[in-house]
Formats: sequence, C-alpha cells, structure tokens
Amino acid sequence: MNGVVQGGWEFVIAAYTITGLAFVIYAISLFARLKELKKHD
Amino acid sequence: MKSKVPYIFLAVGAALLLFGSYWGLFIAPAEQYMGNVQRIMYVHVPSAWSWMLAILWAFGCAIAFLFTSNMKWDSRMEAGVEVGILLAFLLCCQGAIWAKPTWGVWWDWDPRLTSVAVLLVASLGIMALRSFVDDPVRRAIWSAVATIIASVDLPIVYFSVKWWNSLHQQQSSPNTVSSAFYIPLRVNAFGVLFLMIGFIWLRTRVAALKLRQETAIPHTYEEAGELA
Amino acid sequence: MLSAALRKELLLQWRTRSQMMAVFVFGATSLLLFSFAIGPNAEMLRTFSSGFLWLGLLLSSTLTLAESFHTEMENRAFEGLLLLPSDARALYYGKAIANWLQLTLLGCALVPVMVILYDAGTMQLLKLLVIIMLGAAGLSAPGTLYAGMTSQVKAKQMLLPLLLFPLIVPALLASVKATSLVILGDPMGQSKAWITLLLAFDLIYWSLCGLLFGRVVED
Repeated sequence: MNGVVQGGWEFVIAAYTITGLAFVIYAISLFARLKELKKHD
Repeated sequence: MKSKVPYIFLAVGAALLLFGSYWGLFIAPAEQYMGNVQRIMYVHVPSAWSWMLAILWAFGCAIAFLFTSNMKWDSRMEAGVEVGILLAFLLCCQGAIWAKPTWGVWWDWDPRLTSVAVLLVASLGIMALRSFVDDPVRRAIWSAVATIIASVDLPIVYFSVKWWNSLHQQQSSPNTVSSAFYIPLRVNAFGVLFLMIGFIWLRTRVAALKLRQETAIPHTYEEAGELA
Repeated sequence: MLSAALRKELLLQWRTRSQMMAVFVFGATSLLLFSFAIGPNAEMLRTFSSGFLWLGLLLSSTLTLAESFHTEMENRAFEGLLLLPSDARALYYGKAIANWLQLTLLGCALVPVMVILYDAGTMQLLKLLVIIMLGAAGLSAPGTLYAGMTSQVKAKQMLLPLLLFPLIVPALLASVKATSLVILGDPMGQSKAWITLLLAFDLIYWSLCGLLFGRVVED
C-alpha cells in the first residue's frame, strides 16, 4: 500500500454512529428490563 | 435502595467516550498513510480491550460458580456473556468498516477479528442454551461449563487462524495507534471500560431479579408450608 | 470401570450399525452436493477436496453424536449409571472413545468418495489415517460433552451444532490444512505443525471435557 488513503469520512462516521447507537440502545434496553422486573417484584 | 454507582459508571463512561471521540475526530491529526480512516481505531481498540475483559470476567465467574455453587456468580456470568456479545458485534462492525476502504474487502480474515467472530457465535450459543433450560441450577452449571470451554478455546482459535492466515496474507493487521495519538485512545479506553462496567453491573441486576422471580414461591405455598 | 463402559458403548454401536450406513450415505451425499457449489472444474474440486471431506464429516458428526446418548435418554438410564462419581468420567470417556472410533471409521469411508468425486487421492495413507484419527478425536471430545448436555433439552438438534461448531474451528482448520497438504503436496513440510496443533487441541479438550462432564450430568 503506497500513498495516502483519501477521504473515508463516511466510513469513520458510520463506525462511530454504529458504536454510539449500539451503546445507547443497549442502555435503554437495560433500563427498560430493570423497570419491567422491578414492577413485578 | 439499590446502589446508584452503576449509573455513575455509565454517565462518566459516556462523557469520556464523547470527549475522547471528539478529540479523535476533530483535534488529532490524520494518520500518515491511513488518512482519516485510522480514526476508527480510537473506538475500535478500546472496544477490543473491553471485550477481552468481558470475556475474562465471564470466564472467572463461570469458574467461581462451579466452585461455590452461588447463583450470584451465574447472574454475573450471564451479564458478562451478554455484554461480550454486544462488544464482539461492535468489533466486527468496526473492523469491517475499517477494512473496506483499507483493503477493499469487508472481511480480511485478520486473526484477531476472526477470533472475535468465532467467540461471538459461541457466546450466542451459550445464551441460546440458557434460554432452553428451565431449571435455574442446571442452566447455571451448563452455561458455566460452556463458557469455560469457549474461553479456553479463544487463544487456540487465535493461533490457529493466525497460522492459517499467515500462509496467504501479506498485509499487516491494524496496529495500535502511535504515541502521537495517545490522548483520544486513552480517554476512550476508560470511556468504553466504564460503560462496560456499568452495563455488566446493571445486567447482573436484571439476571438476579429474573432469577428471584423465577424461583419465587407464591404466597399460597408459603402458607401451606405451615402445615408441613 | 472404563473398559466396561467402553464395551457397552461398542456393543450398542454394533447393534445399531444400520444407522452407520445411513450416516455414511448422508456424508457421501454431502460431498456430492458440495461439488455442485464449484461445478465440474476438476482443478478447483481437487484443491478444495479436503475442506469438503471435513465439512462432510463435521455435518455427519452432528447426527452420530446426538444419537450416542439416545439410549440413555430413551430408558432414563442416566440415573442408574451415575451412582458413583467415577461413573461419570467412565461414562464420558467410554462414549467419547466410541464416538471417536465411529467418526474415524466414517472419515475413512468417505475418503474413497473424495478420491472418486474430486480426483483427490494420495499415497500417504498412514499419514492420512493419523490426521483423520486426530481430527475425529477433536470432534468427539467436545461433541460428546455437548451431546450429553443437549440430549436432555428440548431443542437438541439445533443446540448441538450451534455450541459445537464455533468451538472446533481450530481442529477443523488444522485437519483441513493437514489433509490438504497430504493430498496436494507439502513442499515446505508444514503438515507437522498442523498435526501438532491438532494433537494439542485433542489433549486439552479430552482432559477438560472429561473433567467437566461430571457436572453436566449430575442431578
């Protein structure tokens, strides 16, 4: 590989977005599950 | 009142991750050869470190459960496996997104990523196993055994794929970032780590609550117990 | 203790030997189907022949491994067999060895199919036998453990492959590479390394799974 990889911002944004979304969605799923379980306790 | 500490971990982790990512995206200079695409490493490498810790955590809890038979370790292990699945999934996505502009293909059989993919499937299998076993104790024993077997396999998978791949691949794997880019990497490393700790902590609570409700004795039985 | 368990397993296998025929047909049919993925390209078929052989063996193993606990499940024989702690270990190794022999036999039976379909023969028959034995051992140790587990569960047919396949990746890689080198030629003498890896995998899992089996079948 010689030369510099040009641009590529779309990939960077995609990677960061997926990471951020995954963490947010997982956190929300945890909060929802906890709320649901505490209701029945 | 349950401790609020896991929420603090989540908040601090998110803040660190946002700060580190901002630095990595807008302040740190583009890498010499890889250009801007290398910035993906600022989340990829921290995720990889946390993933390995999650696997180690699940492995430790599995062993602790087999020795103590205390169901707390089963809940902790379940949390570790699930958070491990989350991180492994992210690693595969980030790795593929990095590989496309770099090598021109979505998957280049990098030994580290391939090992992650194998462990991802294994972890999904463990969660599937758990969902099919009704008896909590049996479920705990079996998934602990499966977790130990899968964790022991991780280094073997890594070496075998590395060997297998070295015969074909001339390209080198994504290496850790050079010292000029320490700050975003370190900040994000702590960010993802704290998020992972918070997630495992809360997910353990979910598992423990589910277990308690699963094995709860209805009131009528408690009264019936007085007759026994 | 172990010899009694092994004798029982081999007797069981002998009594159900017609099933072995069915599994062989399954394996041979798989090899046939794989060739359709490539097409009638003799060169390519020969190149990938060892991969097809081991994939066929792996798929067939899900049938034989699941069957190996069939008797115990049918007659609820587990409880009777496990009166002593040493029973579990003997039961495991007896079954694992029997499964290993069965898979080795199956592997050897599929070799002529491979030779015919893919023009992939070799004169190094002894080395091929060793590789088949070691690879079959790699499948049989964790396979027997997981078969014991999943035989007691509802979704047994789906769970066994799901649990086993990711686990045996190193054994599969090593077996395929070593077999491929035997068939296609090994100018740099790499097969020893792969056989060593296979051996290491076998040693680790034959001990680990034997250790853990007792917990899997305890009541």
